[in-house]
Amino acid sequence: MDVVWASLWLFTLLNVVAVAALSLVWLERKLLGRMQGRVGPTRVGPFGLLQPIADGIKLLMKEDIAPGSSSRVLFFVAPLLVFVPSYMVWITIPFGRDLFVRNLDLGLFFFVALSVLGIVGLVLAGWSSNSKYAILGGFRSAAQLVSYEIPIIMTILVVAMLAGSLSFRDVVLAQDVVPYAAVQPLAFGVFLLAGLAEVGRTPFDIYHAESEVVGGPFVEYSGAHWAIFFLAEYINTFMVGALGALLFLGGWRWPVGDVPAAAGVALFLFKTYAIVAVIFWVRATYPRMRIDQLMSFGWKVLIPLSFAAFVATAFQMFYGWPIWTLTILSLVILVPPIYIQLRWQRKPAMALAKHYAEIAVAVHAQPRPVPVAAVTEADAAPGREDDA
Amino acid sequence: MIAGVKGLLTTLRWLGKRPVTAHYPEQHLPVQERYMGFPALLTDDTADEPFCTGCMVCVRECPTQCMTAVMHDNPNVAEGTSHRRKIIETFEINLNRCILCGICVDVCALDAIEMSYEHELASFGRAGARADLDILLTLGRRYMEQSAWTPKNPEKNVAGVALAKKAAADAAKAAAAAEGASKPDAGGTTEAEGEP
Repeated sequence: MDVVWASLWLFTLLNVVAVAALSLVWLERKLLGRMQGRVGPTRVGPFGLLQPIADGIKLLMKEDIAPGSSSRVLFFVAPLLVFVPSYMVWITIPFGRDLFVRNLDLGLFFFVALSVLGIVGLVLAGWSSNSKYAILGGFRSAAQLVSYEIPIIMTILVVAMLAGSLSFRDVVLAQDVVPYAAVQPLAFGVFLLAGLAEVGRTPFDIYHAESEVVGGPFVEYSGAHWAIFFLAEYINTFMVGALGALLFLGGWRWPVGDVPAAAGVALFLFKTYAIVAVIFWVRATYPRMRIDQLMSFGWKVLIPLSFAAFVATAFQMFYGWPIWTLTILSLVILVPPIYIQLRWQRKPAMALAKHYAEIAVAVHAQPRPVPVAAVTEADAAPGREDDA
Repeated sequence: MIAGVKGLLTTLRWLGKRPVTAHYPEQHLPVQERYMGFPALLTDDTADEPFCTGCMVCVRECPTQCMTAVMHDNPNVAEGTSHRRKIIETFEINLNRCILCGICVDVCALDAIEMSYEHELASFGRAGARADLDILLTLGRRYMEQSAWTPKNPEKNVAGVALAKKAAADAAKAAAAAEGASKPDAGGTTEAEGEP
């Protein structure tokens, strides 16, 4: 009987998550369109609401092609390796005080463990496609996701330290009065940026960058298997939103305290969609980073900042300072990188631009030599019309 | 970093604006006043017939040879409602061939053809872009309404004006002829006055 109930719960969860992912597809296209002066989907259903469903039907009816030289079994297993972990994480996500499939005591750890597992699927997809673009995309995804996993883990550790628990439910219950976004704004910011990179959204979408590696690990996929990758990507995006809402914005609780379950779920979903909307907002604004910029941003900025947030939290807890000192501390930590960015990092670029401008001026100041050969040739053969 | 924040604010501001997209088949953007669309034939309302006499100037000058025209005798001349002895019988423009150069308009001395605002060519048939006289006149009628068109040379080309002018000229000639009968008197008097 337990098996039946568990299957039922999992099936319900699968549907909820899939619908959420489809809603994100619509929301992304609509927001992106409106932010760029376009209208987004309008044709299928009212306000284009049925567009993701139409897309899904289209993808399922397409022929599922595998390259002849691909490693067939791994090629078709890879999408599942990406999708299953991104779906399994939702087992322990509490939508409300008592609304979850299984409240794991090690929920945060469970998330960290499973979110790394998806990388295997991406690398496998790249390798089994037997395509240069795909394998390059797979390598890129491995490099990017592994390096951005560290700041995510560090910020999750900060939250776990503050809450004194690794269970999502306890973390939310600990944020009764002040959400951790206010206690540790630095960790929240680092989490959002690293989360963007973790799910491969612009400006960190270099592993499936269309203009460089065409589609990354997904180049050779089509039809239903590509749809699974697509679904997993949006589920991951929704996951980042949900994690942000649970760990930093007080989930279903803050700021109203205990409310009926439905209202709590609505509050949680509102926060989740708000964070997701910010992710789409960033996508609408920024172009893609170069891979070296991405790696240096991850290793030189985000990881030190996340460690600083971690150490600051440790100090605050060890010495028992009041909680507001942590807010100030984390904001103070942000000052040096911002100062560096504003004062120093622009200098070399400006100097370079000035240097090139001077060269250009000097080049244009020189008198242009008349091409002698052309003159003599024209003189030698006057009236020739076919020169041009 | 400041530029990044500015960029975010820019996209946020655009979120509040109305989209610039026009849903084309349902919503047409206004055409510019001097837009040169496909050529169309204009109608002389005073005689209820086209201006075109089928003189073939535009057909000869057309660089893509997209036009054909046939003229015949104008029945309205006998009725006295028109001054055009010849009138167009059939006129066809293959709009697929037309390059919208406007040479036909430049060479036409009869105010008969104009570049209209029409620019939508889609049709269901292979010959759908062949515009015959009726279509060209309909397009021209629409253009006249849209642009409040007035002929460049009404005295020569508009039947009502030309006929009125001719009638006036005839009347003046008749008057002159009538006066001419008494003219020797007048001449005689002047001569007589000059003689002494």
